[in-house]
Amino acid sequence: MVRRYLAALVAIALACLVPAVAAALGKPDLITLGTQIAIYAIAAAGLDLLIGYTGLSSFGHAAFFGLGGYTVGIMAFHAAGEPMFGVIPGLTEAWLVWPLAIAVSAIAALAIGALSLRTIGVSFIMITLAFAEMFFFLFVSLKTYGGDDGLGFRRRNAIPGIAPRDDVAFYYVCLTALVLVLALLHRVVHSRFGRVLQGMRQNPRRMEAIGLATYRYKLTAFTIAGAVAGLAGALHANLLRFVSPDMLHWTMSGDFMIMVVLGGAGTLVGPVIGAAAMVLLQSWLAQWTEHWMIVMGPILVFVVLFARRGILGLFR
Amino acid sequence: MSALLEVRGLMKRFGGLIATNNLDLDVTEGELHALIGPNGAGKSTAIGLISGELKPDAGTIRLARADITAAPIAARVRLGMTRSFQVTSILPEFTALENVALVEQIRAGHSFRFWREAARDRSLTDPARDTLARIGLAARAEVAARDLAHGEQRQLELAMALMTGAKLLLLDEPMAGLGATESQAMTEILAGLKRHTTILLVEHDMDAVFALADRITVLVYGQAIASGPPDAIRADPAVRAAYLGEEA
Amino acid sequence: MTLLAEQVLNGLQFGVMLFLLAAGLTLVFGIMGLINLAHASLYMIGAFAAAWVQGRTGSFALALLAGLAAAAATGVAIEVAVLRRLYARDHMDQVLATFGMILFFNEAMAMLFGRQPLMAAVPGWLGGSVEFIPGVPYPVYRLAIIVVGMAVAALLYGLIGHTRVGMLIRAGATHRDMVRALGVDIGLLSTGIFGLGAALAGLAGAMTGPLLSVQVGMGDRILITTFVVIVVGGIGSVRGALAGALLVGMVDTLTRAFLPGLLKSVMVATEADAIGAGLSSMAVFILMAVVLLVRPRGLFPAHG
Repeated sequence: MVRRYLAALVAIALACLVPAVAAALGKPDLITLGTQIAIYAIAAAGLDLLIGYTGLSSFGHAAFFGLGGYTVGIMAFHAAGEPMFGVIPGLTEAWLVWPLAIAVSAIAALAIGALSLRTIGVSFIMITLAFAEMFFFLFVSLKTYGGDDGLGFRRRNAIPGIAPRDDVAFYYVCLTALVLVLALLHRVVHSRFGRVLQGMRQNPRRMEAIGLATYRYKLTAFTIAGAVAGLAGALHANLLRFVSPDMLHWTMSGDFMIMVVLGGAGTLVGPVIGAAAMVLLQSWLAQWTEHWMIVMGPILVFVVLFARRGILGLFR
Repeated sequence: MSALLEVRGLMKRFGGLIATNNLDLDVTEGELHALIGPNGAGKSTAIGLISGELKPDAGTIRLARADITAAPIAARVRLGMTRSFQVTSILPEFTALENVALVEQIRAGHSFRFWREAARDRSLTDPARDTLARIGLAARAEVAARDLAHGEQRQLELAMALMTGAKLLLLDEPMAGLGATESQAMTEILAGLKRHTTILLVEHDMDAVFALADRITVLVYGQAIASGPPDAIRADPAVRAAYLGEEA
Repeated sequence: MTLLAEQVLNGLQFGVMLFLLAAGLTLVFGIMGLINLAHASLYMIGAFAAAWVQGRTGSFALALLAGLAAAAATGVAIEVAVLRRLYARDHMDQVLATFGMILFFNEAMAMLFGRQPLMAAVPGWLGGSVEFIPGVPYPVYRLAIIVVGMAVAALLYGLIGHTRVGMLIRAGATHRDMVRALGVDIGLLSTGIFGLGAALAGLAGAMTGPLLSVQVGMGDRILITTFVVIVVGGIGSVRGALAGALLVGMVDTLTRAFLPGLLKSVMVATEADAIGAGLSSMAVFILMAVVLLVRPRGLFPAHG
């Protein structure tokens, strides 16, 4: 137990050193890469609550990521121009916009989950995928917000005491968010609620037989995961100062799934490792060839066939 | 003595097959009531209907006088009835203690508590340890359920059923797959249990059934052809016909 | 009225296209318990092979054959090499592995044919229009697709309902182990069914060429619509796939054609266009949500 906390502290300390290392090496790109990893790790950790702990293979996680991002984008758009529907003013303060993004994603997850969780197994996979696709089309068709081309905005959301253009500071903001989310999820999976989730993954029929109304617990987990993805989306929008339907593309949902499984599902460190591996592998392969996916695809097949427990599993 | 479980005119068809045919069944408070019959007689279907996993086509099921015919599984458990499974059904990755503690957690009410660590919650682990002790598994509390011996897993299942605080246990072949010694041990555990709990037992092990049961109901083709104390059942011509192929 | 008849035919044509994709997907799921995203790649490979052969030889018949064969061969190859190892795995693994295959095939096609869309011409003997409903000229080519789709549906119905292989298919879907115990080579049966499904996907891809541009990733979008078809129809059931495909094809086509117009009668034109386009691209998903609310297992669930 103590060793685990120590390991976590060491990992956080190392993550804090990334900007210094990037400066020493003269590679500021590393900071962006690190920020990206932290953001994806947040979304993937939330998804792992479903895949790894509850046993729900949600294939529509990009929807909540995108909704969080678009909340930021749309609020910035209205802050710079006309109020929404002529009445709702835009927002630029992080402490208002980010909770709003989380809330929007949570509500969407509640609605999608309420419908999707009426089914199980492969139908659940298809349905979550389909609903995410629906939101994708919604934003493609919203010409006001850029449609296909996406929506850019000039400044990151304001955080008191932090310069909006300071990439290093923003890295630390995302890192803090990641640590907080992981701490939160750590409490959740070890709580009574978390026990119930894990029980449902191991033996759903048994859980019903001992008197559990499983639906509402699954729905709560689904909503929590959606909310966490909303936060990640909001951060991602801030990183790029740009949102587009790509955030909701179905391959994004696939990528989040890969991060969870690649790192090791059913652990909290796993998604973080998976996100890091995925981002680093992509940027590394992309240096060699623009056709990096031709390598990535078979790697994925290989991992599924021969290293089912992910990168973490290799060290156990 | 009143009937704790009262089944009247229960019907269930699967396509053309009548799995449960106009079944009447009374399980009296405090008794161990065995449900026996040849393979395919509809015993598992009957348990499925009573526990709420299957919906009957007709008939009523009452538990302690409350009509539960259409009640969901969770509601039936709250009213004091739970089942075990033919195939061992436990949570393999959790320890024996965690398995039983989780049942106590669900019995105690809703599980929308997100913060406190469940493993250190004495209000869950203490009763769980007591139940494990009652069922003879105290020494194995910290072992992951999948690493328990088969007989121990069946014991664990029983502990979980017990922990729901059920007034009525539906046991679906608790001896299935057990060796002779393990069966003997399980018979003793059931003999101990029946002093505290009403039990509806489906079992193929006839030695165990006749040693344990206060009353026996015999199912053939989904229908109860006889019901009574063990000795009467042993002598019943209809039962002998069903089992031994004798002319009734 | 003319427009309506034409759009209904368009809906029918899109519907049978979806059916060709859904039939293979749902059979493979029903019998092998496999969810195969790479079905989208088979469709794309069929389209590319057909467009390429047609470009080289000018023969549409050869193109169709090539599309069918390329998809079937790829299908059998991935089944033997990878997918059969996944039948017993959970759906999550299947999704990830076949997702990896999509990445691979998309990129492979991009390397072979480039990112520029290929165009295929409607063959001369299927060109022009015919007025088989008086006053409604309709392209012969689209009509031919409808006929082919219906013929495939009839063929499948006959195959599954009235042959020994069909009996095995039906038995295999419910009692896999039992069929194996009776000495049937399940491996061969699986490969055969997989090849059949792949060939149908390839056929759909090959026929799409003259209608839409052939490009990398073309299968991904229609795959998701196919999932909607399967969920609406009831997973694992070919009958459900047909009903779902026609329903989804119709709803999608008709809302796209008429919703913006209907909205224009109640609101400003520019807004009506935008909202109409958005709503109609969401229509099939809304249909799916409604079906889920009323019948969570779809309109024609496979068993029971």
